[in-house]
Order: sequence, then structure tokens, then C-alpha cells
Amino acid sequence: MSCGKASCQSGGCSNYDDEQPLSPTRPPVTITPNGSVNISGDRRQLPSNPNICIKCKLNDAIGGRFGGGDDGRFCKDCFRGSLFGKFRFSVTSTGMISPSEKVLVAFSAGPCSRVALQFVHEMQDKAHKNFEASRDKSLPVFGVGVVFVDESAARCVPSAESDEAIQHIKNVLSDLAAPEKLLHIAPLESIYALNPADGREKLRRLLDAIGDNTGKEDFLMHLRMLCLQKVAVENGYTQLVLGTCTSTIARHVLTATVKGQGYSLPADIQYVDARWPVPVLLPLRDCLAREVSLLCELDGLKTLAMVNGPQSGINALVSSFVSLLQEENPSRECTIVRTAGKLTPFSFNRLPDVDDPKARLASQRRQKRFNIKSDEHTPPESFCSLCNSPLHASDSSSLGSFSDEQQSAESFGAACCSSCRFQILPDDSLSMDQFYGLLPQPIMSRAAICNSFINQRLLREKIQDFLLSDSEDGG
Amino acid sequence: MQLTLEFGGGLELLCDSKKVHHVNVDLSDGEEKLTMKGLLSWAKTNLIKERPEMFMKGDTVRPGVLVLVNDCDWELSGHLDTTLEDKDVVVFISTLHGG
Amino acid sequence: MEAAKPKSGGARLCSFCNLRKPALKRPKTLHQICRECFYDVFEDEIHNCIVENQLFKRGERVAIGASGGKDSTVLAYVLSELNRRHNYGLDLFLLSIDEGITGYRDDSLETVKRNELQYGLPLKVVSYKDLYGWTMDEIVKMIGLKNNCTFCGVFRRQALDRGAAMLKVDKLVTGHNADDIAETVLLNILRGDIARLSRCTSITTGEDGPIPRCKPFKYTYEKEIVMYAYFKRLDYFSTECIYSPNAYRGFAREFIKDLERIRPRAILDIIKSGENFRIATSTKMPEQGTCERCGYISSQKWCKACVLLDGLNRGLPKLGIGRSRGHDNDESIKDVKHMTGSKEVQGKPCGTLDF
Repeated sequence: MSCGKASCQSGGCSNYDDEQPLSPTRPPVTITPNGSVNISGDRRQLPSNPNICIKCKLNDAIGGRFGGGDDGRFCKDCFRGSLFGKFRFSVTSTGMISPSEKVLVAFSAGPCSRVALQFVHEMQDKAHKNFEASRDKSLPVFGVGVVFVDESAARCVPSAESDEAIQHIKNVLSDLAAPEKLLHIAPLESIYALNPADGREKLRRLLDAIGDNTGKEDFLMHLRMLCLQKVAVENGYTQLVLGTCTSTIARHVLTATVKGQGYSLPADIQYVDARWPVPVLLPLRDCLAREVSLLCELDGLKTLAMVNGPQSGINALVSSFVSLLQEENPSRECTIVRTAGKLTPFSFNRLPDVDDPKARLASQRRQKRFNIKSDEHTPPESFCSLCNSPLHASDSSSLGSFSDEQQSAESFGAACCSSCRFQILPDDSLSMDQFYGLLPQPIMSRAAICNSFINQRLLREKIQDFLLSDSEDGG
Repeated sequence: MQLTLEFGGGLELLCDSKKVHHVNVDLSDGEEKLTMKGLLSWAKTNLIKERPEMFMKGDTVRPGVLVLVNDCDWELSGHLDTTLEDKDVVVFISTLHGG
Repeated sequence: MEAAKPKSGGARLCSFCNLRKPALKRPKTLHQICRECFYDVFEDEIHNCIVENQLFKRGERVAIGASGGKDSTVLAYVLSELNRRHNYGLDLFLLSIDEGITGYRDDSLETVKRNELQYGLPLKVVSYKDLYGWTMDEIVKMIGLKNNCTFCGVFRRQALDRGAAMLKVDKLVTGHNADDIAETVLLNILRGDIARLSRCTSITTGEDGPIPRCKPFKYTYEKEIVMYAYFKRLDYFSTECIYSPNAYRGFAREFIKDLERIRPRAILDIIKSGENFRIATSTKMPEQGTCERCGYISSQKWCKACVLLDGLNRGLPKLGIGRSRGHDNDESIKDVKHMTGSKEVQGKPCGTLDF
């Protein structure tokens, strides 16, 4: 049963009901094409083989060795189909990846990004076959590129290790069928427009300036996003696909809550996040890490152990907490994401309208636009200069005093969210000046934009009383 | 070394419901001074009669158990590294019980 | 991390008065603070919280839900102190519930009775036996240890309201502290309860009900409450309810304490997140009516307590147990947790008035 919530239509979450934890004995209900309901627990229909796939009732189920979810009760093909179905749903319902797009897949060689790449590849493959078969050639096939962010400079991994990872990625790509996908290797230090050695040095000093381990981890993640965006923009990509899965999102929901980021949380966990120059897509939002790993195992998709180092601090604590809860109830991750899914998303959590009429026609033909709830009538957000999360009123109130001044370390700090201020920015003004001086250009220019934006808003607030009909232009 | 250990906030239930314990803790071989770390492992072996997991987690007290050495928060005196002297009073209070 | 400091000699002085030796490290600010300054800061913060949130009006009658435990004992002490010092003009009362649990509540009630004398606050005790005709001991004898917390939680909530009505008070204050509220936020996320998630950080609740409840300790750390009680030698009772001996092994509570160790401000950050969550205001609230049987507020024909009681009296105690989403109007996480029956995510023990 679907709960009918926008965030929960995949069927992936709704199969997991918090109140009734899935158990192998609960009869699964399937609806046949003519609309009648089948309860496969019904004795008359009980298959002779108890280990048969509950969906197709033909093949053997994969088996329960992978925990309590549906994955163990489907056969390989049905399991694969259901996982791909969740992916496809997120893509079609939100208007992601339409024919005129150029899609960049962020690839770490871990299971999630491996599956994201595989699914994008399969979609492209299918579209390509349709293109070949169709006569009018009106639907172009979207392009796919792959990017790997080499963080060895930040994590002090030996270069042999990252060379190995890059070789692995090249092999994965060359094993995929045509059309060929361009691979971009982006060293993290490339966010600085410097020669690599200087960039590495500057990056290291920047990260060293952060005292809090959790803050360092989070900041590294922001830098990674900047790096991905840079590659996407410079190479003309129109969308960026991340392999973020339900399990990762569940952890993010709790870490964000614990760090006081409750306000901005819904921005990060939707299928679409268009606050960046190139919109970010999370098509694996409804897939569990366990399912993703199982698919890799079944399909022989080779993965690398995460190149990203082990977590520490708050992030590690939350991660082990969620794992513990997940053991106690296999649907816990889904429930967490479902709860957070009920929070109101932001206006940028949908794709901007496409200008190209041909593409729009195509996307209308292919997709039902997904109506996402967001409050249209509130004024647009201001964003944290550092992590780009929308600022709550209580965070941006301190901005007023700096509004007319030039950018400085001080005004930069005031334009950050309280979470970044606490866990990333150095305490004393001397270290803060140094930190500020080491920030890469993308952050600086974003901060400048934020600053001018805030000025506009402050001006608007100042003259608000004189505006006649404020509600008319709220959008 | 003569020490007074007090268990409160429900922790006394783990040691025969007795709140105040006057104890004599000897330094183990090769140690020059007694630290809180040493005292904790001593208390776990010699005083805690049941559910030690309510008192300790790893080599320190369970989070949520407050520790005072001579009525001073051990967070000010160096946690596990706090050095104990003769006649010191160490208080353990659980914040986890009751409301 | 901070380097180990010597226990005595050369230790820094209180960061407030710069005169005396510090006695504790404040989790909220990481300040080292001496006992005397700690008392001042602790009490002032609660006073400010009361004033800023306009929790009381002059001349109001206020009942303090008193279990004899640390939170309610400190609340009774501090509130009567502040009432005198800042001349709030409040009539304060202690309100205790006697669930009828031998060896647990009878002992803690003795504590409350001592508090009555110590703080000079009139005490009202309402018992399950008088209100419902059953003690918890009798209920447990009938239904066993499973689900007894459901009964206790539902009965206690109503008993508090009834006791407050008997005292003719305008408000009921409870000792929920910052740790409790942070835990409630997490539990509501874990169980997917968006309606409760939107309400659980409010400092005042039930303004539409018979008697509004408020939590003056909303921003007060549990550590400081316990330290305050210890330094002031306040007389409180600390044993968990004999019928839920494992309830405090809650994952969520443990998680909060682990968090506090790494980053003390996380507790306030969780509350901040809870306050700032973007929850559509249209989230439907159950329609409020009155119970046809006892007249208590209820969204159903009968209130939850009457349903449970009916089951007990008819010898069918399972009646009414089970999930009742959204139609009981309490936000007590005790009840929430016990309703779900998922013991693993439980927090503080029940059987205390604070919850």
C-alpha cells in the first residue's frame, strides 16, 4: 500500500511499513493486471516450492541470506527489475534525464555509484536502440559522461592507490557497451585555478585549518561537490547524477538533525536539487545500500572498497546508530527517509523549466511532471556561503551589519550557517583570516553572489512597508 | 590508598544498594600512581555486583554517568587521567535513572 | 582535544567570577564554572526562559508534576525559589500520581512528601486506584508485564489532567529537560511521526486542551540538573520502575549520551532542528471532542483510558491495546514508545511523572 506521499510513491518505501515489520510469514499481496488482488499466502495458491519468487512465481528466489527485505524473496530477474523500476520511476516522475540532456555521473567505484552508472547506461542503451529504430529521429539520445574525483591530495593516500582506482574505473568504462562515455578524472585540488602542486598545498592547508573532524569531513564533501560542478559546467553537462541511496540519506537525515541543520535538511534529500549551476539528481534515493550491493554481487559488477576514508566523529556515530537500528528493524532506514520526506522541500527541488521547445515537447511526451510541494509564496532563500544550504531566518539575521561592506573574512563568516560556523570555521580571527584566504574561487564567487542577494533582500525588507501588494509577486 | 566511593542516581543498585563505600585500593605492580582509569577497572572488579554494562562502556564510564572527584567534575581534572590521592572522594551519579 | 589538567594546584579559576575553583564544565558553553556561579547561571537561564516564553501570568495557579525524581525535584525547588526571588506571584502546587506500584512509587512518594515540607508547597496525590479502581500492581497481575506501560502511560496522562483540575490550576509544568526533548525529536524521526515531530519541541503544549503544559527545562541539560541536585543536596529518588526494568537501555538515549560526549552542543542542535523543521502547517490535527463516558477530551467516542478500563473491567485487557495513530492527543514519548511496542527505541524509564 502506498502512503500516497510524494516522497513515497516508489513502492520501495511503502513495502516497508514501520508498524508491521516485514517478516517472511506476512503474505505478500500482488495486484494482477485485471485488478484482482492475489494473496499469495492463500493456501490454494501456495506454490509447491516455498522458495519461489513471489513476483513471477517461476524462478527460485535469491534467498533470505540478505536480510529481511523483499530482495531475498524475488528471483534475480524480478529483483533487478524492481530495483531498476525504482530508479526509472525517479527519473520519469521528475523529468530528469530528458533526451536533450548531457548527463554526468559522479563515480567513486563504490556499489552505489556503480549501480547508478549501470542504470544510466541501460537507459541510454535503450534510448539509443529506440533512436536507431525510429524513423523521424525526433528524440535525440542523451549523452553520458563519467567523473571521478581524486581526493588523494586531501586524504593523504599513496598515489599508487588512486592510480589503481583510476585504472579500475577505466576498465569498468571500457567494459560498458557503446555509446562510449567520456571519463573525467578530476583531482580535488583542481578547484583552485593553480598548478597541481600549489593547489594540493593550498588544499592541505585549508583542511588543516579545520579543528573539528566532523567539520573537516563535511567540508571535504562540499569541496567534492564544487569539483563535480566545475567539471560539469566546463564540459557542458546539464545534469549531475549522484549514487546517493536510501541508506546514505537516512544517515544524512540524522546527522543534519544532530548538527542543527533541520531547516535546510529537505533541500538535500529530494530527487532533484537545482540550487547548483548544474542540477543534481539522486535517482537511487529509493534504493537501499543492501539492495545495491546485492545487485552488484548478482550481476558481477566490480566495485572498489570506498576510496573515501573511514568516518569519524558525529558522522561515524550516526552511521553505527543507524546500522544498529537497522538490525533491530530492517525497514528503519526507509522510515527515517519517509519521515524526512514529509518535510517541505524548497523551490529549487525541481528542475527548472527547459527553454528548448523541442526538448520540452519530448519531455512532455515522455514524462508526467512530478508535482512537488514547495511553498511558492515565500521569498527566495539565502544560502550559506560555505555549504550552500538554505539559511534559516535565525541564521541570516546576523547579516544585516555587514550588508554594505566589502567581502571580508568577517562578513563571510556571518553569511555561513550556524553549523558551518561551529564545525568548520576557525574560532579566532587570525586563523579565520588565513582560512578565508585559502578558500577556492568557486566559494568566493558564490559568497559574493550571496552577499549581493542578501543586500537586495535586506533592502526589500526595509522598504516592505511601502510595497502595496506584496503577495502578488511572491513567486 | 584509602578512598571513599559514592554511587548515586541508581548506580547503587549495581553494588548491593550501598551508596557509600570506604575502600582501600592498592596500586598494581609497576604503577606509581592511581588514576581514574585504574580505579574504574578496580571498581568494576571489586564493587559492581551486577550489570557492569550500566556502569562502564569500554574502559570508561558509560556516557550519562557523571563523575566527581572531591566534588569537582572530572571533565575538569582530565577524565581517565585524573590522578587520585589518599582520602579522595569519588562520586558516580547516573543521569539515566528516573525523572 | 584538551590536554589533561592537574587535579589540583595550577587549575584555572571559574570563568565567571575568576575567584573560586571551578566545580564543573558546562555542557552548553564548555565554561569552567564554580559552584556559586553555576547556581546563578542555572537559575537565571531558567528564569529567562520563563520570561522570554511568557510561560506564566501573575496570579496563576501552577501545578508541578512531581515524581520524586531528579528533574521534577529540581524543578519544584528552582520554581519556588524563582517565584519568591522574582516575585512571579504564582500559587505553586505539587501534583503526584500514585500508580500503585509497591516498592517503587510508594518510596518515591515519600520523597515528594518530604519535598512538600522542604519547599512549603501543598501536595496533591491522585491515585489510579481512586480514579480508575485499579492499581498498577493489580493491572500487572491481570495482564502480565507486556503492555503494562501502555496502561500506565494513558492513565497517567489523564490522571495528571484530573489532578490539575482538582487543584483548579491554570497550568501544569513538567520536568522534561533538553536531553529528553532531543531524544523525542529523534524517536519521532525514527518512527515516522511527522505530527508529533512538529509538536514535540514546543515549550507549551495542550493550549487547546483542558490544561496547558509547559517545560521550563526545555533548554536545560540533564547533566546540569543532576549536578545542581547533587551540589544542593536535593532529596530525590532514583530507581527505575520495577515493571520496566530494561526500558532505559534505549538506543536513542544511549545515542544522545554518546553524542553529548563528542559534541555537547548537539543536544541543543537537535532541539534547534526540531524547531526549524519545515512542516506544512496544514498537517492535520485530530478533531477534538469529549469522551462520552468520562467527559475527558477525546477524538473518539470513548477516550483511550476508558477503552482500556472497559477491557480491564470486562476481563478483556487486550482491548484497546495496539496502535492508535493520531487520535490520542498526547505527545508523551513514553506513550508513543509503548504504543509501538518497540522496546529497543525506548528511552527513559516510565513510571515517572515527568513523562
